[in-house]
Amino acid sequence: MTVVITGVGAVSAFGLGAGALFAGLAAGRSGISRIRSFDASTFPTRVAGEVPVVDADAAWLASMIGDVPLEPGMLRDRKIGWGLVAADEAWRMAGCGAGERGAALVVALGLEQAFLEDLVPIFDPVARTIAWDRATPDLVFRTPVDRCARAIHAHLDLRGPMVVNASACAAGALAVAHAASLIERGAADVVVCGGADAMVNPLGLGGMCRLGAPSPRDALDACRPFDRRRDGLVIGEGAAMFVVERADRARARGARPLATILGWGSTQDGYRATAPRPDGAAAQRAMARAIARSGLPVDAIGYINAHGTGTPLNDPAEARAIRGVFGAHPVAVSSIKGAVGHLMAAAGAIELAASLLAFERDLLPGTANLEERDPECDLDVIGPAPRAARVDAVLSNSFGFGGQNASLVIARPA
Amino acid sequence: MVARAWRTPLGDTIDGAMARLYAGERAAMTDPRIGYACTTIAPIRGEPAHSRQARFLGRMGLYGLEVAAEALAASGIAGGPRIGVFCGVGGLRAHWEDMMAAFSNQDDAGERMWERGLKDIHPYWMLRHLSNNVHALASATLKLRGEGATFGGANAGTQAIASASRALADGAIDAALVIAYDSLLEPETLVELGARRSATRVPLDRLVAPYASDAAGFVPGEAAGAIVLVREAEAPLAWLDARDAAGDADTLARCAGALAAGATVVAGSGRAWPDLDADERETLAALVGDDATLVAPSAAMGQLGAATGVIQAIVLAEILRGKTLPPIAGLSSPAAGPLRPVIRTSSTEARIALGVHVTDPGLASAIRVSV
Repeated sequence: MTVVITGVGAVSAFGLGAGALFAGLAAGRSGISRIRSFDASTFPTRVAGEVPVVDADAAWLASMIGDVPLEPGMLRDRKIGWGLVAADEAWRMAGCGAGERGAALVVALGLEQAFLEDLVPIFDPVARTIAWDRATPDLVFRTPVDRCARAIHAHLDLRGPMVVNASACAAGALAVAHAASLIERGAADVVVCGGADAMVNPLGLGGMCRLGAPSPRDALDACRPFDRRRDGLVIGEGAAMFVVERADRARARGARPLATILGWGSTQDGYRATAPRPDGAAAQRAMARAIARSGLPVDAIGYINAHGTGTPLNDPAEARAIRGVFGAHPVAVSSIKGAVGHLMAAAGAIELAASLLAFERDLLPGTANLEERDPECDLDVIGPAPRAARVDAVLSNSFGFGGQNASLVIARPA
Repeated sequence: MVARAWRTPLGDTIDGAMARLYAGERAAMTDPRIGYACTTIAPIRGEPAHSRQARFLGRMGLYGLEVAAEALAASGIAGGPRIGVFCGVGGLRAHWEDMMAAFSNQDDAGERMWERGLKDIHPYWMLRHLSNNVHALASATLKLRGEGATFGGANAGTQAIASASRALADGAIDAALVIAYDSLLEPETLVELGARRSATRVPLDRLVAPYASDAAGFVPGEAAGAIVLVREAEAPLAWLDARDAAGDADTLARCAGALAAGATVVAGSGRAWPDLDADERETLAALVGDDATLVAPSAAMGQLGAATGVIQAIVLAEILRGKTLPPIAGLSSPAAGPLRPVIRTSSTEARIALGVHVTDPGLASAIRVSV
């Protein structure tokens, strides 16, 4: 059974809409900017792939997609708004309506958003504890983990199953694979899928800074995937959502396929919680499985959208994995994380959306901030400018913290 | 299902906890902490074993890792590239106890938060907060290198079972370790449950069982469970499938309807509000018939959130294999309605059972277990 993508929606550092993402990538720009949504002036990292909407509040959301009933305070968790806007765009682009209400929903989501500021008033500095008995109903401590998914489900008035994938940075790709699997097995005709995440907030940024994951350089070019001088990631936020469905169903209702989902593969490193497997062996198996499932020969893959975090450990391990699969076959590789940041749970989704540029405009996204390729990353890495090329099949990699690997293969629609 | 392990409010071993379930015992107790609207809770007694992974995991995560190792060892299956791991976690919470340093000097304006305390949180705070840390550590320590995913939310355990089942059916893996854990006893959860009035606010001595006409809310609980699944042809002990959906009684009907054929035993949600229990019984009766037997492990263990699917799977497999039905703990006089709530331990010849889980925001999930 052929599974196609018929709608895409995106929210990224380039702005609202898949068109903004495509335009930014096609122009070879970077969306990384100074953080504006909160006071980050004293944080070690003050840049991010922040969505250029400072007040993503109810009025803003209503102006984008109409009124959405949400509990007070929920939109402070920005991923809820990003997910809703992206899902609405994908739904509309695909021309979905009453006939698609039975769709399943598979969403990759990140952490529950905790609201530090609501805890401060009930913090007992003497006992050094939270005085929970002083909590009042107007305080919002966190958003439930599936709140964004439930909001999308309600907004689109869906009737099908709802799944929340929480597999860290591999979640977005796994959500799309899950969706394709549901259709292939006949468990669903249409699935809305993708990911949303927002860690550009005090706790998200603070936690990542303490962990030492972001680049220590306070510069807009801080994330340099595959570059010899790479020294860490830049956090991003946003969402990408897709409508996927059976090809014959899409054809029958006149929907235009944007891509065919041909294969997917997932493996675990089984190595360490804090580092990827240096030899890339498990990541290599994920890619090989995805390609094998696609039925394509390896040399049919014309472009790889790499996980490419710009961290010292990820990029050479991924390069080894790619070489392990592709050998001497030349294949163009790039990472968009230097341009939009690392969207964490939504990374696999936004990068799949970016990969559609290859089919929509015959352009392969560039690798922002790449100046001198690391010899350890011995690949045909596309530089900062996009490369004009016609390719018919794309592999997109997503590797999660703790060693979760996911790869997707999509092809130009027939 | 070829192996299983759990940590529940009724006990840490399968045999021990099942014996208490068959005896009709309730794990509920009065919360020794003060200040919460919900004072009756069902915790896992004791603490997880000492582990070097405590650097990365909180208490429930450690329980998750414990049961994962125990179940895999019991299965006799070694790790490898054909063994998958699938996790379900209820919430991805902020571990307040690790964050006190962050609060020390914050002001209400939310300015200079890094300088005012965030800079002092532990470097591993984010790792302890990571959505898939149990998954990652189970994979690393047990050498599980096949397919896998972590799911979040109230039905995450059932999602993990469903995803594992699909991967097995696809032939992508030969065996799957499914891990689920959740606690409804964390402070902010109790505050929320109390505010929503979904959990009971009555003291222990006035607690009423689900499916009684004067029930007044469920007991919040916690659990960790792990099961090892292989393809049916290799171990025809039990087969599980799952569907889930968002919604109401109609949703329950749709998600359980696909799995209900032939089921004569049903493990109900036991939400312990008369109107909700009555709706559930009506919905289920339409699927499995008025005479199907109704059990409710949640009456004894409390509501277990995302762990429910895995715990129900273990309980139902034990019931069918042991041919014995446990009573609904504390229930002596069920409310009138369809299905037959079990009020004393009895024998059964049932071969197929259905477990359902309906949660407060309107999610429903179901599993089917057969022997």
